[in-house]
Amino acid sequence: MGTMGTTNKKRSFFSQKICRFCADKAEYIDFHDVKALKPLISERGKIVPSRISGNCAKHQRQLTNAIKRARNIALLPFAVEH
Amino acid sequence: MRSYQSVLILKPDFDEAQVDEALAGITELIQGYGGACLKVDKWGKKRLAYRVKKNRFGYYLNIYHTCENEQVPALEAKYKLFAPIIKFMVLRLDDKELERAMGSGEAEEKAEEGENKEAATPEAATPKAEAVAEKTED
Repeated sequence: MGTMGTTNKKRSFFSQKICRFCADKAEYIDFHDVKALKPLISERGKIVPSRISGNCAKHQRQLTNAIKRARNIALLPFAVEH
Repeated sequence: MRSYQSVLILKPDFDEAQVDEALAGITELIQGYGGACLKVDKWGKKRLAYRVKKNRFGYYLNIYHTCENEQVPALEAKYKLFAPIIKFMVLRLDDKELERAMGSGEAEEKAEEGENKEAATPEAATPKAEAVAEKTED
């Protein structure tokens, strides 16, 4: 029962377990499209694992590159400022 | 010769005239290393995700350009010394990425021109239709 509760909680953040980029039929992920990247980083600025977001492996690889580029050019944070 | 994408962050207190002035300087730099500007996007003033040289805001410029392969480190060194630039990133583009970059700009322009074209298309379409009709008669 306890484990069921935790999985339900996790699912509640990302309700559908479908790759959102496959659903949009996105061929590539733009690093300056901050609106698309923002939901896929945690509050602390970490990249959300595909295990939780439900992204497919191909798009998760593209996503990590896009996020790292965006961080380099100050569009996304490396870590949250205090 | 390869194509590259340079994303530059300029000082936030620049107005349009100063940005254009800086852009002229940057294009000169690129041309100095045997390159040419293909396309310039002004993303405008944005809030930075973290402080860069004590700035919280920055003016983003995105330039698609070509450059001699061996001259890219020299170009980056020049960017570093160029006073208006507070941060920059140079990306190498492969053919597919370049096509996409050039295509996206054209698509936007087409969308903007769409309204004007709609008015023009009926006139343009009619001569073609006549030509087809003539051919069928022959």
